[in-house]
Amino acid sequence: MSASALHILLLGTLALIGVGLYGLLAVRNLIKVIVALQIMVKGALLALVMAGAAAGQPNLGQSLAATVIVADTVVAVVGLALAVQVRRYVGTLDVRALSSLKK
Amino acid sequence: MTAFAWLIIVPLAASPLVYLTGQWGIRRGHPGAARWAGLIALLAAWVPFTQAAAGFAANGTATLTAGAQMLALDGVSLLLAALALGLGTLVALYSAAYMAADDGQDKYYAMLVLLVGVMIGLGCATDLFNLWLWFEGMAISTYLLVAFYRTQPASLEAGVKYLVQSAVGSVFVLFGIALVLAQTGTLTLGEIAAQATLTPGFLAAGALFVIGFGVKVAAAPMHTWLPDAHAQAPSGISAMLSGVVIEAGLIALLRALSALAGLALPWGVLLMAFGALNMLVGNLMALRQQQVKRLLAFSSLSHVGYMLIGLGVAVYAGEAAGAEGGLFHMLTHGLMKGLAFLAAGALLWALHLARGDHGALTIDDLRGAARRYPLIALALSAAVLALGGLPPLAGFMSKWQIFQAGAATHETALLLVVIFAGLNSVLSLAYYAPLVNTMYRREPSEAVLAGAPVPASMRLPLIVLLLAVVIVGFWPGLLAGLTGPAGAALLAAFGGG
Repeated sequence: MSASALHILLLGTLALIGVGLYGLLAVRNLIKVIVALQIMVKGALLALVMAGAAAGQPNLGQSLAATVIVADTVVAVVGLALAVQVRRYVGTLDVRALSSLKK
Repeated sequence: MTAFAWLIIVPLAASPLVYLTGQWGIRRGHPGAARWAGLIALLAAWVPFTQAAAGFAANGTATLTAGAQMLALDGVSLLLAALALGLGTLVALYSAAYMAADDGQDKYYAMLVLLVGVMIGLGCATDLFNLWLWFEGMAISTYLLVAFYRTQPASLEAGVKYLVQSAVGSVFVLFGIALVLAQTGTLTLGEIAAQATLTPGFLAAGALFVIGFGVKVAAAPMHTWLPDAHAQAPSGISAMLSGVVIEAGLIALLRALSALAGLALPWGVLLMAFGALNMLVGNLMALRQQQVKRLLAFSSLSHVGYMLIGLGVAVYAGEAAGAEGGLFHMLTHGLMKGLAFLAAGALLWALHLARGDHGALTIDDLRGAARRYPLIALALSAAVLALGGLPPLAGFMSKWQIFQAGAATHETALLLVVIFAGLNSVLSLAYYAPLVNTMYRREPSEAVLAGAPVPASMRLPLIVLLLAVVIVGFWPGLLAGLTGPAGAALLAAFGGG
């Protein structure tokens, strides 16, 4: 893989992780928080595929990415399940409502 | 198949069986079936554990290759396995009464057994991605356990905070792994260590590992999830989280950094800096807590600080005693904090939960608890005094070993760090001592007078841990069989010793 293609991919990775991190800080809806987390993970996935290609082992990078997808889906499911319970027992999805535990 | 493969397989395979047994029990009208299944699964894991420990004592590091993946049982893994399995078994026994009235015991015990299994696996990982995968498994099983009281807004809040922070940390680790893979073409820790040199790419990977694993270690300022999660989880799980999970995170961090030891960066100084910050933040925050479990959670922060200082001294100066001290403190902290959380949990259960009240246990509730609950008050007092470092309890011995290792280097800066740690240890008594005082010297509160009796199955783990804290205090050499090889393995990984 050429160096310029790698740089473009690296930029894409950083952009995805940056967008996700910004989203985590900016959004107030719990579902959107989980979407922001997912965007960050997608950045890391891209990085893994890119790393495999850069090291001349594209199959390794891709299989790592596939494994991460599985693990990460579980995290997303647990997060969404928590969101369901929050909506049910706190009455809102606004993360600002989740601040009873201070200091 | 070596014994240590079974050590990992037994809990992992038992976890779904525990869940199914629990489901079967619920349908047949035995809602407690899962607790027996969970306990049996953990007891069964002791068989391969003793074999693996005997094998380790005879032959040293054991390895297991499955496909291209290799797992290895070295001193560090054995220490983590002993801690996870020991505390896990006691917690399973303790939870039998503590969780008896709760729905979802099938899930609780399945996750507890899974947690023990993945932590043993985590200790045995020898490549970066494998390490991440076990780490993620540990995170997922603890998310579910932290938010176990899923109808309580406070538990949900703690679960959400923990999940979000932990997931961000794990993305950082993944990105670090990608950077390492791109530059070396391998993920095996030993092979990376041979190739890593000081380049911007490896530097970035190191920073990402420190931040990513640092979230789970609760290195300040990435600690904000810890007090919520540890205080809101069921008490048995608080003991696991505080006694083993953050320690497992620390081991993951050290393993990942050991692959980058070739960068010739002062990793030891970094660990000590985080350690000093953690001690200060943990102690200052604990001072102002009114809730017992929150107080104990903040004190975990400061105890991570002691471990980091011991390990930092080891990595910085190649001082084996520092690594042994740090790992010894890991073990004693597991015993002491496990005892503290289980004892506090027993009081929480007797004064609040048994009466259907999910409120927090405050220091004020403990007034005169020694009159009605002499054993539990004694256990909690011994635990917090040991945590505060009062001789001759276990905590004093491990802290002393860390301080001694730091002083043995004869460097002024390290001496100052040790003195700072010693002062923090004294400072910590400022919040531990009032707990003891409240329990023994005040008239009983209404909550204590109206409290429920604590069943024997909850008292037994307390007695075991109490004896352990006292015995290890008198004979610290008892655990040298675990800490010695672990310290040597850790130093060897960092290219020292």
